[in-house]
Amino acid sequence: MGVTYDEVVWFSKTFGLFYLIGFSALVLVYVYWPSNKATFERAAAAILHDEDKPCR
Amino acid sequence: MIGQLTRTERQIALVILICVAAFGLAIAAAGKDDPIGAHGWLIMVLCIFGVFGVISGYFAPEPSEERLDSYYDEPSRVGIVLSMAWAALGLFVGDWVAWLMVDPALTFDAAWASYGRLRPVHTTAVIFGFGGNALIATSFYVMQRTSRARLPDQLSPLFVLLGYNLFCLLAVSGYLLGITQSKEYAEPEWYADLWLVIVWVTYFVVYLRTLARRKEPHIYVANWYYMAFILVVAMLHIVNNLSVPVSFGSAKSYSLFSGVQDAMTQWWYGHNAVAFFLTAGFLGMLYYFLPKRAGRPLFSYRLSIISFWGITFLYMWAGSHHLHYTALPQWVQTLGMTFSVMLLVPSWASAANALLTLNGAWHRVRDDATLRFMMVAAVFYGLSTFEGSFMAIRPVNALSHYTDWTVGHVHAGALGWVAMITFGSIYAIVPWLWKRERMHSDRLVEVHFWLALAGTIIYVIAMWNSGIIQGLMWRTYSTSGTLAYSFVDSLIAMKPYYIARAIGGLLFLIGGLVGCYNIWMTIRTAPRGVSEPSIAIPEAPLAVIPGRPGAAPQSAE
Amino acid sequence: MFGFHYKLERKAISFTLAIIFVASIGGLVEIAPLFTIQQTVEEAPDMRVYTPLELAGRNIYVREGCYACHSQMIRTLRDEVERYGPYSLAVESKYDHPMLWGSKRTGPDLARVGGKYSDDWHLAHMINPRDLVPQSIMPDYARLLRTQLRTDDLGRHLKAMRAVGVPYTDEMIANAAADAKGQATPDDPAAEGVTKRYGEATNVRAFDGRPDQLTEMDAMIAYLQILGRLTDAAYKTAAAPGR
Repeated sequence: MGVTYDEVVWFSKTFGLFYLIGFSALVLVYVYWPSNKATFERAAAAILHDEDKPCR
Repeated sequence: MIGQLTRTERQIALVILICVAAFGLAIAAAGKDDPIGAHGWLIMVLCIFGVFGVISGYFAPEPSEERLDSYYDEPSRVGIVLSMAWAALGLFVGDWVAWLMVDPALTFDAAWASYGRLRPVHTTAVIFGFGGNALIATSFYVMQRTSRARLPDQLSPLFVLLGYNLFCLLAVSGYLLGITQSKEYAEPEWYADLWLVIVWVTYFVVYLRTLARRKEPHIYVANWYYMAFILVVAMLHIVNNLSVPVSFGSAKSYSLFSGVQDAMTQWWYGHNAVAFFLTAGFLGMLYYFLPKRAGRPLFSYRLSIISFWGITFLYMWAGSHHLHYTALPQWVQTLGMTFSVMLLVPSWASAANALLTLNGAWHRVRDDATLRFMMVAAVFYGLSTFEGSFMAIRPVNALSHYTDWTVGHVHAGALGWVAMITFGSIYAIVPWLWKRERMHSDRLVEVHFWLALAGTIIYVIAMWNSGIIQGLMWRTYSTSGTLAYSFVDSLIAMKPYYIARAIGGLLFLIGGLVGCYNIWMTIRTAPRGVSEPSIAIPEAPLAVIPGRPGAAPQSAE
Repeated sequence: MFGFHYKLERKAISFTLAIIFVASIGGLVEIAPLFTIQQTVEEAPDMRVYTPLELAGRNIYVREGCYACHSQMIRTLRDEVERYGPYSLAVESKYDHPMLWGSKRTGPDLARVGGKYSDDWHLAHMINPRDLVPQSIMPDYARLLRTQLRTDDLGRHLKAMRAVGVPYTDEMIANAAADAKGQATPDDPAAEGVTKRYGEATNVRAFDGRPDQLTEMDAMIAYLQILGRLTDAAYKTAAAPGR
């Protein structure tokens, strides 16, 4: 067996932390990217329109 | 149903039904000495009924091209009816097993009616039957509206819905026959599992094809949750159910994993079934039906995206909190505990987002029981996620694990959150789907609401009490340093709480039946109203809505 | 026009991939290392596999949903060890496909119930639990005594277990049905084969008190009597530091 239990566990214990921080940063950047603001506001309001037909 | 299919689709439906019927016959023949044989016959008979159904509608006129100008809601209508039927069955069996814990003699000495076989019938019927059908029905509805695109064809959504119900039926009838894998919430055996994979992949493809046809560039956040639900449930289902069947003619299979690996895989599945079936999917419902019914846009769309990725990321780590102090290595337990506590952040963000959306519409919450269902659901969602994170802390878990506290927690989530948001969404969607002005009786919705709320509260408080008493009795020492109570002592102490729980469950069941009646009467008798949600027109003018660039370019298809 | 649609579809696909990627990491990181766990867990050279009769009993335990009310996992807590016995080790369930650790104790833990009560006690308890424990809410299982045990497919069951990693020998598989009968019929010539293949310590008794019949009750009691007794490892390492 190439990897030992201790190596895998070490990876598990450290990797998750960095992954979590990096990933949160990515999500926050996407969410607060200024040019995305309009898209989000439009999407939030779009479902309230009564338009019972698909666009073709 | 058949009238909505094109001629080609009717032919494909016949081919599918005949293939599945042949497969059922093969199983019935191979497993004639085994319980699986009964399932083979069941599959075959159902498919033959289906064949007759298709043939009887085969020569009906084809749907006109104009159908493409409207959304395809037939699967949603069928799904809602099936969902309520499963709710009635699941809640009934649930209350039955609750009474069995008060008086174990309520089984008429029949093998199928013993507690151990009925309990999974209850869990499967409510989670997969009631919840699953409601998710499929609403997801098709929401997906089409938010994408402004009709489902890609008429047959595949129906295949998904009916195929899924065949799975549920195989599961539930299997437990009564003694067919089970024993993996909690994944009890169905290998052949039902394989069938679900086929159905689920089709579901995903339908979703992707509709998304690909969408006319809105941005995918509305409710669909994100529905997508996560479909994808991750597929992942979990396939990995956790890997097993080797004894033979083609045998219902029994042996799990690929054993012992500690199996335990971790099972609770990775079990906890994420809660996350992606009972949370993500229903959050998808919440993010569409709550703003729509309240007539107000989501409080913060950004927050909903942050919570989405938070839930998708964090939940996957939390499963090991089901295995504290067991033979699972301690570092895995610690990881599970840490991530479970962190999960509180996106969970409360979602609950707060829902409640803040209601700001400015509280008078509607007061007057409209449907909206109140959704509001209470959000509150219970916040409560039970807090409780869940709390119970994942190791020392707390030492007390709560193996006791009724866990059962109380699950039902705070299942009755208070999942069932409430589902009932709320169903009461909103039924008049829209059947083009009625409103429900048959608003008063009965009100009755259902109070029955459901009272039932949930009685249930949960009874289980908190019994669970904590149980946990404390098991670990109490007398002054001489010996255990103070025998196991039977703790069992005797539970009796009044088990009676209270069964009564709470009964109230919830009656509420569900009232709902079934009301929905049935709406479909049958209520006057035909105007089209879509007249109720949801916002009272106050919304903020400026920018032009919709996505709608402008017409596709070439 | 084509570009617009292309962009839309690409977005949906990459979104799908993102969900799969984000959601799979947590499980992988926690589950994958457990497959290298053999390097660290306790050794149990004396660990034996379930006999065909015990396996049949285990399958009845699964079929009847006993795991819904009985756990088989003693946690590393003082009161549990004093109530039920030494805490459960990972190695003890290494042949359990699937594991039956359970999640709820409506009834007591059964991880070490083997040998705690006599066969007669179990028999009477299964026929009517309230005869022995008046307050019990356990369902009765008198019908197990009325049902003949199916043995003709036990060989195939052992084979499937071997396919997932349990070391059953060809001889065990070939003699599965006979061994099941033999284990519950001490006077039968087949009984010898059971101790030969599964060890001298194997229980060979008429578990349901009827040596002339092989019922589901035989299998069920045989299984209950072996719980916690496949290896002595837990008693040897009980003094060792917790995991």
